[in-house]
Amino acid sequence: MAQEKTYIEDIERTLYDIKNVDKSKYKSQSGLTEDIIRDISARKNDPEWMLEFRLKSLEVYNQLSLPNWGPDLSELNMDEIVTYVQPDAKMTGSWDEVPDDIKETFDRLGIPEAEQTSLAGVGAQYDSEVVYHSIQEDLVKQGVIYTDMETALHEHEEIVRDHFMKLVPPKDHKFAALHGAVWSGGSFVYVPEGVHVEIPLQSYFRLNAAGAGQFEHTLIIVEKNASLHFIEGCSAPKYNVTNLHAGCVELFVNDGARLRYSTIENWSRNMMNLNTKRAVVGKDGIIEWVSGSFGSHVSMLYPCSVLKGENAKCEFTGVTFASKGQNLDTGASVIHCAPHTSANISTRTISKAGGKATYRSAVKVTKNAPYAKCSVNCESLMLDDISRSDTLPTMDIEGDEADIGHEATIGRISDEAIFYLMSRGISEEEARSMIVRGFVEPIAKELPLEYAVEMNNLVNIELEGTMG
Amino acid sequence: MSKVQFSEIPMRTWNWLGVNEAAVDSELLAEARKLDVNIEPDHQENMVVEYRQESYGAVNINVGENASLKLTQLQLLPEDREHANEINIVLEKNARIQLVAVETGSRAFASKVNIVLKGNKSRADVSVLYFGDGDRSLDMNYVLDFQGRKTVGNLEVYGGLMGQSQKIFRGTLDFKQGVKQAKGYEKENVVVLSKGVRNRSVPIMLSGEDDVVGNHAVSSGKISEDKLHYLMSRGLNPVEARKLVLEAAFNPVLELIDDEKLRQEIDSYIKERLENE
Repeated sequence: MAQEKTYIEDIERTLYDIKNVDKSKYKSQSGLTEDIIRDISARKNDPEWMLEFRLKSLEVYNQLSLPNWGPDLSELNMDEIVTYVQPDAKMTGSWDEVPDDIKETFDRLGIPEAEQTSLAGVGAQYDSEVVYHSIQEDLVKQGVIYTDMETALHEHEEIVRDHFMKLVPPKDHKFAALHGAVWSGGSFVYVPEGVHVEIPLQSYFRLNAAGAGQFEHTLIIVEKNASLHFIEGCSAPKYNVTNLHAGCVELFVNDGARLRYSTIENWSRNMMNLNTKRAVVGKDGIIEWVSGSFGSHVSMLYPCSVLKGENAKCEFTGVTFASKGQNLDTGASVIHCAPHTSANISTRTISKAGGKATYRSAVKVTKNAPYAKCSVNCESLMLDDISRSDTLPTMDIEGDEADIGHEATIGRISDEAIFYLMSRGISEEEARSMIVRGFVEPIAKELPLEYAVEMNNLVNIELEGTMG
Repeated sequence: MSKVQFSEIPMRTWNWLGVNEAAVDSELLAEARKLDVNIEPDHQENMVVEYRQESYGAVNINVGENASLKLTQLQLLPEDREHANEINIVLEKNARIQLVAVETGSRAFASKVNIVLKGNKSRADVSVLYFGDGDRSLDMNYVLDFQGRKTVGNLEVYGGLMGQSQKIFRGTLDFKQGVKQAKGYEKENVVVLSKGVRNRSVPIMLSGEDDVVGNHAVSSGKISEDKLHYLMSRGLNPVEARKLVLEAAFNPVLELIDDEKLRQEIDSYIKERLENE
């Protein structure tokens, strides 16, 4: 007999969906014009070169077309997006100085508490500006810099100028160009040679204003033989208008360095999440990506690792959970540019209630990368017959010394597994939940405990809508 | 000569990868060898299509209910020729196709195969062998389109690349919504024999149905030194050792060719190229 399922239309996501009254100090006009960009730049007191960079990026944006692959982006109307929303708060190093409504938002998200218990530094962005930043004193003494991008642009201008959008140039794609034109906020991290940041740093990005865009820029430089774990979180309340996130993350992992970049993304279901993340890794360096994509209406997110130095490594672990009204197109790409580089990509995708999950990847081995190794594993779980799950990997290998493997599976939870668990006294609903949690466990175990708990909570929220 | 689009993958990806579509010279398509075949219900047929000079060939086949067809297609054009070919197959209820495709000839070729598993319990078993040497260009696009319930589709691909050859293999398992209990499997094994090759693989799996089992796997690498060393320690020279390993790699497809003479022709053709490299 066909199994019947009941769907709860709206899942309560109270924690993430509480909206604050929009008390922004300033909002740019909606749309994208040279005047708006000049206005943003002036308000930020950009150096002249940055204004020029923004204006050139606008030119590139106007020249480029929307991608002719991936999810349909026709719903996005840039004329209706407000690209800069300045909150009525100044950047501070004390939560007491953060306006109450904003502080309460971050309290609910558990950021100040996590700062006390498990983080070495925190950045909190609200709409277009960072409102709070802190870092432990002992790290400062070791020369670690962790601050908002605007401060970095003024206090460490040469470093920023040498690295800003060098890995993701505006010509890369239309939304990279958009980012170059209107970027605001984000974090800058510099870890000096040989310094190991033992406790993670975290930046949290909260978009509160309806119809707005968030374009934070994250720039991390980990010098030789240094190490860092950086955590990025993001969320927004749901509105009936489209919001846009077109952030950019650039990671420079130098020789012998190690960087773990973890993300739990939980944007609201009206968000177009068109984010670009890229890392370049030097000799013997390691980049580790841990990526959880749960939110947004449409996502296009494919962290890219450029393995530039001999023996550089990439580990990518990702989970994507697409539910009703979501089209999450995620994956990863790796470019092997040096001998003995290696990569391991492992992903899980789940789709339910009409959601569409796409895994897309690219592995490129250049002729300069003999003895490269890459293993790609993608498993997709479909929880009903109205959803979609697609996998689209590409491998492009030059030379004869590379060792490349790819495996993928698509399927559903087997009736036998459910039956077995039910025969042990577990309800069908809990059995399904257990199996899904087990399915994402390889990702959960890569996260710090409290974030693994948050990810499990998100999985549970998503599963709430499905009754066996 | 102007280029025209010849085939496209069912779902596009990054343009910089250059795998979304294949283009061929328009003049190539002008000289067509076309074949329409209808296999009557409950009949069993065995067909061999050989391309030895033709620029372009198209085979359209309908396999009726409970019918089965074994189609062996060999592309053995001379090295100075370009070629394109396509196969379109529709399988009715309980119908079966066994397709054996050997792509070893021509300087540059593009092939596309589209198999629609329309009827419930229809089945497609596709085995492909390709071999590239010199500066040859190989472009293949295979799609198994699952439309019926309890359908089964298997795509097994064995390839060898040497010289400065370039290859793109796109294989798609497309499970449409409603294809309950369908099963699909895709595998591509590539043996790389030279530094100068470029090997691109695009194993796509699309699913609008949860009650399916879909798997795909791709592996690409050179012949292991240990294996070669072992064979050479048994008295084989390096070329002979490589020939033996490649022959073993291709055997799952070669053994499906019923005509002994054809099988030997392909075998000799590949060996000759190995020796000339």
